[in-house]
Amino acid sequence: MEINWHSLYFLLFASIACIFALAVVFTANVVRMAFYLMLSLAATAGLFFLAGADFVGAMQLVLYVGGTLVLLVFGVMLTAQSPFISIRTGGGDWVLAAIVGGLFLAVLIPAAVQSGASHENFPKNVAASEEDAVSADTAEEPASEPTAARIGLALLGAPADGSKGGSGYLLPFEIISIHLLVVLVGAAYLARPKRRATPEKNVAEES
Amino acid sequence: MELGATLSTLLLLAWLLPLASFGAIVLFGPRMGRAGKAAGYVATGAILAGVVLSLFALGFWIGEHGLGESLHGDEHAEVKAGEEADHHGHRHDDGHAKKFYSGDWYTLAEFGGLRLTIGYYIDALTVVMFCMVTLIATCIHFYAMGYMHEELEDVTDHEVTLANGEHLRRPGRYHRFFQYLSLFCFSMLGIVVAGNIAMTFIFWELVGICSYFLIGFYIERKTASTAANKAFIVNRVGDFGMIIGLMAIFGSLGTFHYEEIFAQVRPQEIYTPTETIEKHHELTVPDGMVWAEATERAGEIVMDHAGQEYGLENAAAQMAAEANEYRDQGFGYTLLIIAGLGIFCGCMGKSAQFPLHVWLPDAMEGPTPVSALVHSATMVAAGVFLTARFFPVFTPEVLLVIAIVGTVTLFMAATIAITATDIKRVLAYSTLSQLGYMMFALGVGGWVAGVLHLITHAFFKSLLFMCSGSVIHAVHSNEMTDMGGLLKKMPITAYTMLVGCLAIIGAGIPLVIGLSGYYSKDAILAQAYVFGESNGSLLFLFVIAAGGAAITAFYMFRLWFMTFLGEPRDKHRFDHAHESPKVMWIPLVVLSCFAVFVATPPITDLFNPTAAPLVRMLEQAVPNGVAAGGASGGIVIPAEADSHEHTVHVLAGFIAFGTAMSGLLIACCVYWWRLINPDEVRAMFAPIYRFLLNKWWFDELYDKLLVRPTLYIGRFIAWIDRGLIDWLIDNIARWARGFSDGFDRAIDRTLVDGTVNWVARQTHAVGLALRGVQTGRIRQYVVLIVVGTVTMFVIAFGLSK
Amino acid sequence: MNLLTDPVTISHYLIVGSVMFVAGAVCMATKRNALGVLMGIELVLNGANINFVAFGSEILARNPHYRLGLDGQIIALFVIVLAAAEAAVALAIVLNFYNNHATVDVDRADELKG
Repeated sequence: MEINWHSLYFLLFASIACIFALAVVFTANVVRMAFYLMLSLAATAGLFFLAGADFVGAMQLVLYVGGTLVLLVFGVMLTAQSPFISIRTGGGDWVLAAIVGGLFLAVLIPAAVQSGASHENFPKNVAASEEDAVSADTAEEPASEPTAARIGLALLGAPADGSKGGSGYLLPFEIISIHLLVVLVGAAYLARPKRRATPEKNVAEES
Repeated sequence: MELGATLSTLLLLAWLLPLASFGAIVLFGPRMGRAGKAAGYVATGAILAGVVLSLFALGFWIGEHGLGESLHGDEHAEVKAGEEADHHGHRHDDGHAKKFYSGDWYTLAEFGGLRLTIGYYIDALTVVMFCMVTLIATCIHFYAMGYMHEELEDVTDHEVTLANGEHLRRPGRYHRFFQYLSLFCFSMLGIVVAGNIAMTFIFWELVGICSYFLIGFYIERKTASTAANKAFIVNRVGDFGMIIGLMAIFGSLGTFHYEEIFAQVRPQEIYTPTETIEKHHELTVPDGMVWAEATERAGEIVMDHAGQEYGLENAAAQMAAEANEYRDQGFGYTLLIIAGLGIFCGCMGKSAQFPLHVWLPDAMEGPTPVSALVHSATMVAAGVFLTARFFPVFTPEVLLVIAIVGTVTLFMAATIAITATDIKRVLAYSTLSQLGYMMFALGVGGWVAGVLHLITHAFFKSLLFMCSGSVIHAVHSNEMTDMGGLLKKMPITAYTMLVGCLAIIGAGIPLVIGLSGYYSKDAILAQAYVFGESNGSLLFLFVIAAGGAAITAFYMFRLWFMTFLGEPRDKHRFDHAHESPKVMWIPLVVLSCFAVFVATPPITDLFNPTAAPLVRMLEQAVPNGVAAGGASGGIVIPAEADSHEHTVHVLAGFIAFGTAMSGLLIACCVYWWRLINPDEVRAMFAPIYRFLLNKWWFDELYDKLLVRPTLYIGRFIAWIDRGLIDWLIDNIARWARGFSDGFDRAIDRTLVDGTVNWVARQTHAVGLALRGVQTGRIRQYVVLIVVGTVTMFVIAFGLSK
Repeated sequence: MNLLTDPVTISHYLIVGSVMFVAGAVCMATKRNALGVLMGIELVLNGANINFVAFGSEILARNPHYRLGLDGQIIALFVIVLAAAEAAVALAIVLNFYNNHATVDVDRADELKG
């Protein structure tokens, strides 16, 4: 049996991601949740690599796991008083969530399968089918040139080949930058230390 | 300028000047002079100018037409060659047709055949009346300026008691008096100058309203205001008949203008397709009236010619041809009688003939100048004037009615005057009696006699009233029982009043000379005698008239003796009595001169009464065809010229003199020489005395017969209005309210509000219910988001499948 | 077994993405700890990211008409950045809430209850 290593790795990462995602759901301890999440996201990064998005995968690890999740861990640590570490939800809520989630899943999975199938079977016009036939025949790993350069060029506004946006992503890039700045300021403001109420008492304390 | 235009302009000015004075006083009265004193000057000035203009008009008339022929003298009329023997004395040639000038000054309206105009009809009568009215009015205006002087300050009216027991104190109304006098003069002159009967009617009513204002001058006195109402209402009753007469004339003849009416009723000739019939202004039923009565036949003729070309013209020609037949059959005569009676009805009201006489005695509530001007000389004369004017239209039947009414009036009034003690009442009944004489004279065919008496009566009656006013002014009482012995105190008044009394009884030397009243009374009695002779059964009218003359003499001198001779009955009043100021006695003297000389023939022909200038002027004014008299239905109206015959003249003259003297003698016996005691007589004839004292119970009769039923009907109708209609309306209002209340409650509150409230409640409930959705719990929101997403997916992809 | 030998198609990635998404949604729906909810959000975003990358991959998305190409990866990148920003702000809010109410139980944050 010829093992498709690509598929094997996919299976590995996919199962880690899914299982730990479910673990996040089912565990009650918030610290453990944080950890499981971390593992799940790391696995996702692997999935990204397998899909050929190396830059994005790298960024996932750097930004998401190393930044966002760390932030969440900070939050957990700040608020992890004993009563809050595990807060249980009632059974009714679980049932409701399970039903809803099940329904959702039941809707999404057929959609996923079907879109994949239709993805393959879509327009059989000459050019497309020729390209498809060409690329379908080769069923080997395509040459994965590094995407970083292409992404970088796209972000700077130079339309990179193969990208569908003709004018690049300079504008969204700038917007994102401003957005981050705003978020920075806003978060700092929101989380500022609040003064106490009485100035006299302050004075008295200081003196 | 042509005489007609001159006369019309002069008389127009003389007529309108009092109107201008009225307008000026209305606008500026209270501000004229001190307390309006100059209002008197304005009014007097206007009427004085009127006199001057009238005299000019008279002069112009005489200048153009002369005074007219004097008739008869002592010799018989000359029968000129070519004259018809049955026309007594009047020259009948083409130049004889009565001279008049008529025209229109201003057209008020024209609707189809109806023409309403302000116009004139000037003949000798008009000019003479103008002079008489303006002259007497001027004298009275002067007199009134003196008499009404107390109205210049605040007046305390002793005859009005207020609720708190005090006498009324009010500001003076001097200017108002002259305002009304001016308006009255304007209205009266309007009647005199009027050229058509519609205009006459307008001014007829105006005169009535002026009389109302003037009688009710002391309006706070209940007696005065009631008397004013009575005068106006009784006049209105007469006017009702007048309107019927007007309608009869207009409906059948299609015109209001005098000349047209007279031309139709007294045509010189009438035309038929085959011949021209000479009518010599005999009384003829006009075509209009013939066809008005023979309406069936008229309708048939029109229908026969309907639809043809020139159908109406052919119909008219046929009607003209057939008119004579129908006229001979008597069609239209009744309508003519109705027209005449209707107009006379109006005259009855205005001239206070029986049975519409009740207002004149009460009209004495007005100030004395009013009684002198309005209720003796002018307004009441308007009725006689109109009767004289409309004489051509009266058929012999109507004239008989007039004569009888006149006779009854003169007799009845004379008897009541015997017992009256209020000096003005005596004079009022005297006026009534003399008006009866005038109507009687006209009724028996004495046109000139009646109008002559009108004019002479105007002078001496106004004189008498003004003298009585002087006496009342001096003594401050109307009752003769408060007077007596005033001859020494007020000589001028006494002697002028004596002149008036002599004039009214017709004093004079028979067949020689007399005061003005002598000539007119003589003429009346002569005509009455001739009438009695022509209609054997009606001689009693003459007897009554002669008897009336006796009674007249009696009560007039009773008045004079009681007022001026004997011992004063009220010492206090006697002491305060004094002669009136100059402004009041000068008019008395002027009028007394007129009372003596107005009808006197000139020196050259002294014994011929018909030679008097006044008489000759009036002869010029006799309407066409009247002088010849007439006959119909067994009544003969003798020609006036018959009364000028010597035998009649002598007989009538002596009878008049005899009756007057006998009355005078009895009066002297009772009131001067005290030979007979009036109280004994009174006691002996107590029932008669009471009957006369209560004015023949006429007021009570009318009250029971007419006033009470009217008031009863009025109360009944008022009940319908208040009890029935108001009850209905109020209840309708109440029911409507109740209904709307119920409706409101049921529909508006229950249904509409209920619905709205229900909707609001439901909304609230839904809101409350939906509120539950907002639990505030984040996890539930997440679940809902997911559910929503799932649903959308299902719908989107489910549908696409 | 065929999973090991056959090449991975886009459907597999999509299934994984769905599972992660649903897991995140259920996590958001069930966790009472505010930070748990945040974690759920992260899972959701990640599921979406997987989808984007899958569609943009040359390996998986064979049909060039459907392939997002680089756009998919760039979008995924942006999503990551935005997720970070959003996490920061959300954390600030949670900490504020914690300071004010001395609890991170989202069930206590029901002042919007109508």
